[in-house]
Amino acid sequence: MSIVDLTSMAQSQTELRNEINERLAKLQNEISDYCFQCGKCTAGCEAHKLLELEPHKIVALTKRGLIDEMVNSDVIWTCMSCFKCWERCPQKVAPIEILNALKNMAVASGKQIPGQYTSMLQSILSIGLIQDVQEVSTHDNKIVKRESLGLPPISKPVDAAKFQMALTKLAVEKV
Amino acid sequence: MKKYALYPGCVMPTEQYAYELSIREVLPLLDVELVDTNGFSCCGEPMKSVNKMVTLYLAARNLAIGEKKEMDLFVPCPMCHFSLSECKHVLSNNNEMKERINGMLASENLAYNGTSEIVHTVDLLHDIVGIDEIKKHVKKSLKGLKLATHYGCHLIRPSEIGRPVDAENPQKMESILLALGAEPLYYPEKLDCCGAPILANLRESALTKTGQKLQRIQEQKFDAMVDVCPWCHKMFDSRQNKAGETVATKLEVPVLYLTQVLGIAFAVNKEKLGLNLNNSPVNKLNL
Repeated sequence: MSIVDLTSMAQSQTELRNEINERLAKLQNEISDYCFQCGKCTAGCEAHKLLELEPHKIVALTKRGLIDEMVNSDVIWTCMSCFKCWERCPQKVAPIEILNALKNMAVASGKQIPGQYTSMLQSILSIGLIQDVQEVSTHDNKIVKRESLGLPPISKPVDAAKFQMALTKLAVEKV
Repeated sequence: MKKYALYPGCVMPTEQYAYELSIREVLPLLDVELVDTNGFSCCGEPMKSVNKMVTLYLAARNLAIGEKKEMDLFVPCPMCHFSLSECKHVLSNNNEMKERINGMLASENLAYNGTSEIVHTVDLLHDIVGIDEIKKHVKKSLKGLKLATHYGCHLIRPSEIGRPVDAENPQKMESILLALGAEPLYYPEKLDCCGAPILANLRESALTKTGQKLQRIQEQKFDAMVDVCPWCHKMFDSRQNKAGETVATKLEVPVLYLTQVLGIAFAVNKEKLGLNLNNSPVNKLNL
């Protein structure tokens, strides 16, 4: 089962969407009291230097209720989670938290999830980790793995079925 | 003797073997015992864009495993360290959420109470082991080695959650490197991101971030870069050639884990430190 299947199960999706909507409405209320558009978040933003993310505008647009527009925009996926916006905001607004809520909402509303997030989640569901043990090459081009380097077996969920059940439940319906 | 359960995360134990090898070599020399524990999973941080509840649940689950073993956790990855710290922060302020999470954890016979402490490589070495103790083990001074440090964003920010190092002027790695006789120097790009968090969806941009930082380090004639994050190292070391292509520069910056640098100063065998696994030109350091 893919995350797209998981998140498009009608009833629970509505519930999740409501919860995220509530979270955003709450954010919207809080922001209107605090953010005064000083732009310190954008001045430090790592994604701003390279891509077009402007956290102070994300905050302003959220404040004005343009949530669907942002949920459908690619720009919310350019955040590098460097946390400078959260650290440096004189009003403790944390634009990164708004971006995370917007991305969660994009996923919950069945929008295509970009890049490898889907395969990472599938891997967590099946083995508990975002990827399985990889082969790597040494300087002199020898291929080595964990075992050949004398490292102990990897730590993974013991009862995979129970782990998977709890996590699937979470991805489908909210806790 | 200090004792911790090793919480490995995903990236270190599945591909960044040099970090794990050097940790397992160096920490026991400093009287730190690491206990391997089965059952851990992803910390949840990579899933935060997809579903924040998944992140919170996975983090609480791993903390609960530490509690069940009655051990504090050694978390060498800043991303995992952040996820577990944030989970503790959220659940200590939200009892309702804590009960919901515990309701789910019960299926695996786990319960989260928030009693396990977590440490990262940098605070373990700097605050718990201590600089004086590190100095006692130095067998080979790294005198004259000009080093650029890179902490990793998740390790230093946001201070509101409680991070082991200062957000704007981190100095703990510098203190450790000074104790080894090396010369850690300031550079304006020190706090710049490695780009790894968008590797999953914007590969070229992620590599450009990596390339830009390495290019500046190379121009400023550092001998090497030192990091403490398997994600950052994956960018700066494993993908250095690709990152160089994005900035049209031949990059030749040796990149080492802090624990590898410690091991060199403690005269540990280089193969045991995984130095043959670094893809950047570490051989040119002649250590």
